[in-house]
Amino acid sequence: MLLSLLSRRSLEVDSRDSYGFALRPQHIQRYREYIPIYKEEEAERLEKWKIFLEQHQKPAQACFSKEEDETPEFKHKGSSEEEHKEILPVGATELKEETSSKEEDKASLPAVATVLKEEVSLEEECKETLQIEAIKSKKETASDEEIKETSRAGASELKEEFISETSEEGDASRGKSDFAGSTESETKREAQLSEERKTCKVQKRWAQTRPSLHFIEKMMGLRVKKGKNTKDEKVNGSGDRFVSIKEAEHLSGESEDVLEEVCVNEMSANNMNASKGESDLGDGTSQEPFFSWKQELENLVHGGLPKDLRGELWQAFVGVKARRVERYYQDLLAEETNDGENNYQNSSSSSASKWRRQIEKDIPRTFPAHPALNEDGRDSLRRLLIAYARHNPSVGYCQAMNFFAGLLLLLMPEENAFWTLVGFLDDYFDGYYTEEMIESQVDQLVFEELMHERFPKLVHHLDYLGVQVAWISGPWFLSIFINMLPWESVLRVWDVLLFEGSRVMLFRTALALMELYGPALVTSKDAGDAITLLQSLIGSTFDSSQLVLTACMGFLAVTETRLQELREKHRPSVLVVVEERSKTGQDWKDTKGVATKLYSFKHNPRSLVEEKSIAEGLEDAPDLRDHSSNLDELFSGLNSEIDSLPDLQEQVIWLKVELCRLLEEKRSAILRAEELETALMEMVKQDNRRLLTARIEQLEQEVAELRQALSDKKEQESAMLKVLMRVEQDQRITEDARRRSEQEAASRRHALTVLQEKYDEAMASLAQMENRVIMAESLLEATKQYESGQAKALSSPRSSRSQGSSQDSPRKRTGILSFGLGWRDRNRSKAIFDESVDNPCSPGRETSNQEKEQ
Amino acid sequence: MGCGSSRLDRTSGRLNGLNNSENASAHDAKNLRVKLVLLGDSGVGKSCIVLRFVRGQFDPTSKVTVGASFLSQTIALQDSTTVKFEIWDTAGQERYAALAPLYYRGAGVAVIVYDITSPESFTKAQYWVKELQKHGSPDIVMALVGNKADLHEKREVPAQDGIDYAEKNGMFFIETSAKTADNINELFEEIAKRLPRPSQVQPSQPAS
Ligand SMILES: Nc1nc2c(ncn2[C@@H]2O[C@H](COP(=O)(O)OP(=O)(O)O)[C@@H](O)[C@H]2O)c(=O)[nH]1
Ligand SMILES: [Mg+2]
Repeated sequence: MLLSLLSRRSLEVDSRDSYGFALRPQHIQRYREYIPIYKEEEAERLEKWKIFLEQHQKPAQACFSKEEDETPEFKHKGSSEEEHKEILPVGATELKEETSSKEEDKASLPAVATVLKEEVSLEEECKETLQIEAIKSKKETASDEEIKETSRAGASELKEEFISETSEEGDASRGKSDFAGSTESETKREAQLSEERKTCKVQKRWAQTRPSLHFIEKMMGLRVKKGKNTKDEKVNGSGDRFVSIKEAEHLSGESEDVLEEVCVNEMSANNMNASKGESDLGDGTSQEPFFSWKQELENLVHGGLPKDLRGELWQAFVGVKARRVERYYQDLLAEETNDGENNYQNSSSSSASKWRRQIEKDIPRTFPAHPALNEDGRDSLRRLLIAYARHNPSVGYCQAMNFFAGLLLLLMPEENAFWTLVGFLDDYFDGYYTEEMIESQVDQLVFEELMHERFPKLVHHLDYLGVQVAWISGPWFLSIFINMLPWESVLRVWDVLLFEGSRVMLFRTALALMELYGPALVTSKDAGDAITLLQSLIGSTFDSSQLVLTACMGFLAVTETRLQELREKHRPSVLVVVEERSKTGQDWKDTKGVATKLYSFKHNPRSLVEEKSIAEGLEDAPDLRDHSSNLDELFSGLNSEIDSLPDLQEQVIWLKVELCRLLEEKRSAILRAEELETALMEMVKQDNRRLLTARIEQLEQEVAELRQALSDKKEQESAMLKVLMRVEQDQRITEDARRRSEQEAASRRHALTVLQEKYDEAMASLAQMENRVIMAESLLEATKQYESGQAKALSSPRSSRSQGSSQDSPRKRTGILSFGLGWRDRNRSKAIFDESVDNPCSPGRETSNQEKEQ
Repeated sequence: MGCGSSRLDRTSGRLNGLNNSENASAHDAKNLRVKLVLLGDSGVGKSCIVLRFVRGQFDPTSKVTVGASFLSQTIALQDSTTVKFEIWDTAGQERYAALAPLYYRGAGVAVIVYDITSPESFTKAQYWVKELQKHGSPDIVMALVGNKADLHEKREVPAQDGIDYAEKNGMFFIETSAKTADNINELFEEIAKRLPRPSQVQPSQPAS
């Protein structure tokens, strides 16, 4: 529980985050911006979790207390009672009661206790010390950790009781007194503890989770048991992985076995009661509320775990309690001393020393300079890693595990960290960190396929830049994002991952990151820029809630079932390569014994099956197919004999293996040739395609641009047209107006001329009238003159009268002629009107004509 | 379909070495870009060498490399060409060797590092040389680096051994110290000088 120590020491140095991890200088500013957000989120989720735990604890408590009627004083202590009933012999219960009262007697510093109570970190410490104290007071413990089983059980119960007491609100006063009692002893124990650490003795550092979380623990624990059983069946045939656990169970005394059996029996009884063993609460809770409850929990987990509960919840998720075998951890560590006595086979001890050396190299390089990983912390880390390597020799130690172990140690006591590590590495990451790392390679292929499916454009772009997705995603998966994402985000991803109990969250998170940052990558020009950009974006993913929500909500289709399908699809290709490597690698792996060499075959019989199925796919190599099936037989034979090989037989087998290897090599060479050919074709195609697609894209863009331009032009045109039409219309209107006015003008003019005519006519007729008047006057005058002449002639001869009359007529005519000529002169321009005027004129003319004739 | 091809990619390292060699060192004669991979036993100082070269720092408590990590750095040479190194620093533990092809495939440069105080790491370096001769790009530039030269009082691998082995295998050899920065820049400058220039090697690249 190193983190709790940390928080007490207030280590918020500038360059470290609230977990004590170093921040990259370029991220300090952003981290600071997120501190208030994190705090707000934390407060919010703390509230939610509190309500949730309170709600779901009560029904559980009620049904437990029903069973606890004989010991009514425990009623209020929550679900831990259940364990009392299961395991505690009557004597132990008495002991416990005794000690608890002793502790109460010591109660003297309630004020100090209140302070302590506020500090979760100290609380944890107290639990531990109390526990140890209790053991000491029972005096069976003394120097080393060889504790009698009964007292062990008693002690653990005792400790559990303290936890339940201190963590329950209703019991505050009792809790306080317990703590007060413990503070005195704590200081005493501190010295002893650190001494123990220094001497590197195997020590018990184990704490149970608080009772308020037991209902979660129980549900998750069932998952473990189911998983474990199936695994045992699987493993029994080919591996010896869990043999050591079983051995430990047998070795560790009878009460241990009883404990295990009780648990198992109880579980199986529950399973029989509930249909399909789905409802694990069993104790009267029906299936319906159980499901709603789990959904609620899932939502809470997506929102993140409260800091103070994280360590315990992780344990609950992984099912630490169900996994834990008493003393197993201590026994694993005790083997250390036996190492020198060559208890091991040669091969395994050489590989063990390899782990040891690697672990030693890596310990100082695990969260370097983290304040909590001081000398003691590193000792814990070392023990944890060594114990795991011994627990699961097929994995041993693999780089990355140092970080996992380090992280767990920051959140929980050492042995709890061990079981958590065991839980998620053995179950969730089975085959991931083994010597061949097969599953991690398979996962990369699976991820690549999902990327192709989800982000074809991005993959295409990365392809174009020459970046392979696995370069980047490989380290993400292997480190489970530690040192990749900011810590808050790492923890949030782990929350979900451990809760779900599979690697689905790895994929979803990786996809979410690609979704978040893919678009930015499209701008990068070369491989280096793209990777650098992505790395820096990933490194500053401080918005952990956004990340987790994108991951959990955005990629619901990525399920364990789907992943399994894809894994099955891609595993063969990985196995082929692994096989090949293990062959070519022989010359430098000389140090490995035959057993180790064969171990890899034995460990992975699957690979041979795959090989065989591939060989069957090759129609043109039937002889090889036969060989490979022979091979299979050979190996199955080997597997049974391998454990007791005399030297000669070993050599024979070795030769056989060598032979088989050569045959295989030949076959894989054929395979390889084919692959090369196809790959070559593929490459050429891809290359052409790449160029073409690039061209097409460019052209498409141009076309789009042109189209855009065209539509712009069209728009302009139509606008112009409209304007034009309007202008035209205007024009037409004015034209019309003009024409109309012209017409009007014309008609006016016409009217004018008509009027003029009329006027002229009138004038003419006036003139005519005048003429007539004149003529009539002159006629009158002439007549008067004639009459006067007549009168004179009456007095003269008749002859002269006839002459005179003949002379008279021309004179009279001249008068009329002169009028006629004058009139004609005046009207010469208006000849047209002659006709109309003819009649009155004609006599004049006639006269003039007559004159000319004359 | 894309997956089919990537599967083949993976299973045929040799092939990819060939085909991706266009990626290895490119593109115009004045600005080269090259993928460089660091290989070698765990703890020999690969990460420290990269950090020294890229950031100019030495952190005695560097982190364990999980999988691989990437950094890039550009240097200018005297003939005014620039070389951009895209550096893949790999994990050293033996089992991670299974992932190494992913990173050395298509690399134009491989820097193989050992620790002069550890003969075991020298053996491991020889393994990497062989592996690259088999599976790396045929025109890969290889450098053998004996690191931690500052710890000469603890030296267990004589410099001559490194020189001899490098000569036999047509490699460039240098002893460095990430701690004191000795020969770190020289290492990368020397590599840059040895890079095949596009004009000499690939007069006609596929049009891109
Ligand atoms: N004295 C000395 N120590 C070095 C040097 N380079 C690296 N180291 C140390 O060697 C350890 C491992 O270095 P690292 O770069 O992590 O090794 P890698 O596993 O090859 O990446 C680090 O703790 C460094 O302190 C060096 O040049 N001199
Ligand atoms: Mg490294």
